[in-house]
Amino acid sequence: MLEIRAARKVFYRGQPDEKVALSGLDLTLNTGEFGVVIGSNGAGKSSMLNAVSGSLALDSGQILINGDDITGLPVHKRATRIARVFQDPMLGTAASMTVAENMLLAELRSKTRTLRHGLNARRLADYRDRLAILGLGLEERLNTRVDLLSGGQRQSLSLIMAVGGSPDLLLLDEHTAALDPRTADIVMEATVRAVEALKLTTLMVTHNMQHAVDYGHRVIMLDAGHVHLQIGDEEKADVTVADLIGHFATKTDRMLLAS
Amino acid sequence: MIDFLQTTLTSFVALIPVTLAQSLILGFVVAGIMIPFRMLSFPDLTSEGAFPLGGCVCGVALAAGLGPLAAIGLALLTGFIAGCCTAFIHLRFRIHTLLAGILVMTMLYSVNLRIMGRSNLSVFGTETIFDWVPFVQPGFPLAKIIAVGVITLAIFLALNFFFTTEKGTAVRAVGANPVMAEAQGINVWAATIGGIGLAGAFSAFSGALMVQSQGFADVNMGLGILINGLAALMIGEAIVGKATVWRQLLAPFAGAMVYYQLVSLCLAAGMPPPDLKLATGAFVLLMLALPTLRAARGRQAAAPRESFRE
Repeated sequence: MLEIRAARKVFYRGQPDEKVALSGLDLTLNTGEFGVVIGSNGAGKSSMLNAVSGSLALDSGQILINGDDITGLPVHKRATRIARVFQDPMLGTAASMTVAENMLLAELRSKTRTLRHGLNARRLADYRDRLAILGLGLEERLNTRVDLLSGGQRQSLSLIMAVGGSPDLLLLDEHTAALDPRTADIVMEATVRAVEALKLTTLMVTHNMQHAVDYGHRVIMLDAGHVHLQIGDEEKADVTVADLIGHFATKTDRMLLAS
Repeated sequence: MIDFLQTTLTSFVALIPVTLAQSLILGFVVAGIMIPFRMLSFPDLTSEGAFPLGGCVCGVALAAGLGPLAAIGLALLTGFIAGCCTAFIHLRFRIHTLLAGILVMTMLYSVNLRIMGRSNLSVFGTETIFDWVPFVQPGFPLAKIIAVGVITLAIFLALNFFFTTEKGTAVRAVGANPVMAEAQGINVWAATIGGIGLAGAFSAFSGALMVQSQGFADVNMGLGILINGLAALMIGEAIVGKATVWRQLLAPFAGAMVYYQLVSLCLAAGMPPPDLKLATGAFVLLMLALPTLRAARGRQAAAPRESFRE
């Protein structure tokens, strides 16, 4: 379970270009729940994700995972419980290392790293099995450097790396936005399959309204640094892309009037 | 002409064992340059200060009556600390790695002078690790080649093992992609400080061995060692490659052996020693410029299409 309590973050405080990124954001995501976060640019989606992953320190507020307060922990300590797929396929994998080495790094995310040989036969067989699920042929390219893979392959690898070891929380940061539509669908299908099979608590940020309608248990719409609207289970089954865009429209009008 | 070739060859061949001993010792400082540059993507100049630091500490320790192993141990420790300082300055104050290295290197010059109390120190006649090589006469190149050769082999194997362990793979990940490494639960600070510290220890080790080999320590013994090391590293990478971990680790040691023989050949051919740094610098520059020059030629070939658009 993820709990964000009264999260507040202000950039450039006291300067003319002061920007409130998070203004007392509250959000609870139950164990096994798949939340889809939408919102216009500057609504606080990235700030929220970065605050949860630890790369952005909050001014005030708390972040709890399964009841444990992780607000003060650095990124690498949170990583034992949180897995993340970045928007940029380049960020999520180590380009100059092989597919198998990347898988090893991900496997060790929540473990103590020892002075034993990393890539043993048992692990390689395991990686082959896990990558075969994607159907991209990555299981035959374990010794290929990741920078020789396509963006879609790299992002698929990132996904398999992230869902391995069943993290307490999976963060997906517009992870299909940089891919072509067909590859984006493949990665998205693989995401949904993994999240459902492993019952992962998942927070996905997306700009794709169709994805927000099709996937997940709850749509969470952010605006001006707090949760503007939530559309849960029963209601979400009937929601359409037009409905969601409608919510954007009222907000944009208000923004226009305010400016 | 024949005469010239003959004298060149004779003096070159006569110098091969001495040069080999020297290059094996300097292989460690090249390794100390390779680890930050290649394993951690942390261009670092600390070695220029850590090499004489190791030498000075070792010299003072020997002069104070410490055993050769204890003297090397002290040198390793101080080199490690020097490397850690550079990494810390970069991480904590967000100062560019090269500038952090220059700062530490410059400060180390004073530290080295303070440690020795003067600019050079003779330790001739004290016991060295080269005296322990059995069956050969101490003081001759063969003893050094055997001693340092065995150490090099052991360290190469140890490094090769370490960088394929779980911990070693994590350290390499920090160099490959620090954002990703952090997201995979790797402590980037610890890995960087430890890795650059290790590199500093290697440079200091090289300096300490050099002092035991030549019988004196000098604050200026590190002058230009970095550019020599880079040249050696590039030659090594050109010969053995850098695609896999063991090739990348072999490159500094192999490169040092080839590079110093080349230098010796140039000197035997009558090149004045003062010109050596200019030649080395030009060589490193050429190696660095090569990819850009190749790319420029590629662009020229494609130029007609470009001009067509204009």
